[in-house]
Amino acid sequence: MARIVAGSQITDAEYMRDISLGTTIIAVTFDGGVVLGADSRTSSGTYIANRVQDKITPLLDNVYLCRSGSASDTQAIASYVQYYLAQHQAELGGPVRVETAAKLAMQMAYGNKNMLQAGLIIAGHDSSGGSVWAIPLGGTLLKVPYAIGGSGSAYITGWCDKNWRAGFTREQAREFVRAALRHAMARDSSSGGCVRTVVIDSNGADREFIPNTKLPPTYGELAAPA
Amino acid sequence: MSIYTYNGAAIIAMAGKDCVAIGSDLRFGVQLQTMTTDYKKVFQIHDRLFVGLGGLATDAQTLFERLVFRHNMYKLREERDMKASTFGNLLSSMLYEKRFGPYFASPVVAGLEPDGKPFLCGMDSIGALETAADFIVTGTNSESLFGMCESMWRPDLEADELFETLAQCLLSGIDRDALAGWGAVVYVIDKNKGVIARTLKGRMD
Amino acid sequence: MGSNGGGFDFDLCKRNALLERKGMAPPKAWKTGTTIAGVVYKDGVVLGADTRSTSGSTVADKNCEKIHYIAPNIYCCGAGTAADTMNVTAMISSSLDLHRYATGRQSRVVTAMTMLKYQGHVSAALVLGGVDLNGPHLFTIFPHGSTDALPYATMGSGSLNAMAVFEAGFKEDMTKEEAMALVAAAIRSGVYNDLGSGSNVDLCIISKEGVEYLRNHEFLMAKTYTRKFPVTYAKGTAPVIKEKLIPLSAVDVTEGAEEAMDTS
Repeated sequence: MARIVAGSQITDAEYMRDISLGTTIIAVTFDGGVVLGADSRTSSGTYIANRVQDKITPLLDNVYLCRSGSASDTQAIASYVQYYLAQHQAELGGPVRVETAAKLAMQMAYGNKNMLQAGLIIAGHDSSGGSVWAIPLGGTLLKVPYAIGGSGSAYITGWCDKNWRAGFTREQAREFVRAALRHAMARDSSSGGCVRTVVIDSNGADREFIPNTKLPPTYGELAAPA
Repeated sequence: MSIYTYNGAAIIAMAGKDCVAIGSDLRFGVQLQTMTTDYKKVFQIHDRLFVGLGGLATDAQTLFERLVFRHNMYKLREERDMKASTFGNLLSSMLYEKRFGPYFASPVVAGLEPDGKPFLCGMDSIGALETAADFIVTGTNSESLFGMCESMWRPDLEADELFETLAQCLLSGIDRDALAGWGAVVYVIDKNKGVIARTLKGRMD
Repeated sequence: MGSNGGGFDFDLCKRNALLERKGMAPPKAWKTGTTIAGVVYKDGVVLGADTRSTSGSTVADKNCEKIHYIAPNIYCCGAGTAADTMNVTAMISSSLDLHRYATGRQSRVVTAMTMLKYQGHVSAALVLGGVDLNGPHLFTIFPHGSTDALPYATMGSGSLNAMAVFEAGFKEDMTKEEAMALVAAAIRSGVYNDLGSGSNVDLCIISKEGVEYLRNHEFLMAKTYTRKFPVTYAKGTAPVIKEKLIPLSAVDVTEGAEEAMDTS
């Protein structure tokens, strides 16, 4: 019955602290598809709970989701959307449009906005080409040519506006995503680790993993030892 | 102030060689006012099984009544007494059922298993079961009781030694607890003899 | 007054909330301020845990079990509120048992992982490990319900200490012995450096061949002191006022008379 003693300093808050994807996420359209990118850091307070997290979750073969905010909330949203889309795809008997996936995710995010801490970017490719949809905190759905999100995005808004071009090629878009993430991870302490990208076009999705040591150093950083 | 210190309690259970003992203080108070000095906090479930209930007295009483009810139902169905370990698990799940609105009681179970081996377990108010081979304590000043037991308990105590050891641990532990005391009661369950109940003289302050 | 139907009972919630509003602090539940860890090795998974359970800063149990059985091929380390880790793992283990009975198939680790997500209602932080038809798996499950799949994972208040050991010593495709040594070292670093963790090291090795549950694999905290002449109190030391013998109620257990089965 010593549990009456006030303030158990050892554990208490530790477990109940929310696991958050203090994050940088990004998605960009290009001629014929989209590129999604994300860092890999998951933190619990100041502790990095996972340094190789995969924040780019597949919703369908042709639609992927970038997650930011609370890890548990966004994982739960993703699995609901996956479930409903799989059912919808089975009923439809054909490919699902990116907009459908985005609207479904928006309904989840908007309908439960009081309980959720989730910023999502949905991107994919369908019969009308590549498209990017942003769902920020309140649950608004925006169709955008490119979107950035998470705590790291604040550091690269200007850079992205300056360097984004309409009609990127596939390679240009990939390079844009990689460089943007590189800069955000350098400045935002809640973003870091490795870079993951997914390129989606008419041929399907193509994943890429860039380990931290293979990222080029930014201003003031030392190059990774060989 | 915590709800656990509303009434005050000190309970110790100890294992010996083919015997167990369990004891409690006798004070029943409401915060700092002592109401009665003959309030036992350990209850007999059957020949070889006792349960001690510390914490808020009203919840301890309710819980005890439900335990008797469940044990009677078990006896009607099975035509035998419950094993001490089974009883521990029953109590644990009864407490966890109220995970989000718990009884403010922290129980100690002491008994002999059918093979005559001692069984001791304790739990918190939501039923986290902890079995022990030596001793279990609970109460408003469990630190004192823990300290006494850690230094006084030995393996394979015979029934009489076990009683004396537990009595010393309980009486000394109580001396540093303003909310418990006013005498004590100790039950020794012996494999062969039965239960020996002894009331102890303690400080009356 | 409760039920036998299972599930939670919210009868006392209102009363307890009222008491809390009146300034009565609710009791502290036992916690396992813990170091738990696991790694994937060549043929399976090694899970490890310390054995201290605390309530506030008092050690409630010096040698508790934190590696819980889930299925014959799956085990789970629990940190957080002791009652929650025990009951949640027990509930999932029984559901999986019924599922195996219905399907006749071995349980999968992902199934257990999905069932263990409680979205913040119970405070259990888990490291789940096992081997199924898809090979070895290791997951962490946080109290809020987020999950991670990792080759090496730690949880609890000693997770930082244990992770430091893993980050320094983890290799892919370790042998069983290497993995056991690494996990034991990780738990040890929690036992020695984290106040919430202590006592001994439990290990559990799960591979396709079966399970080895090594309770107190390293027994670190034996009592360092014993009295040469233990204190013994002579009979009659305690001031007994009243003594009463309650004899064993003389119940003769008679085996029921043979009763022929009614076949009429």
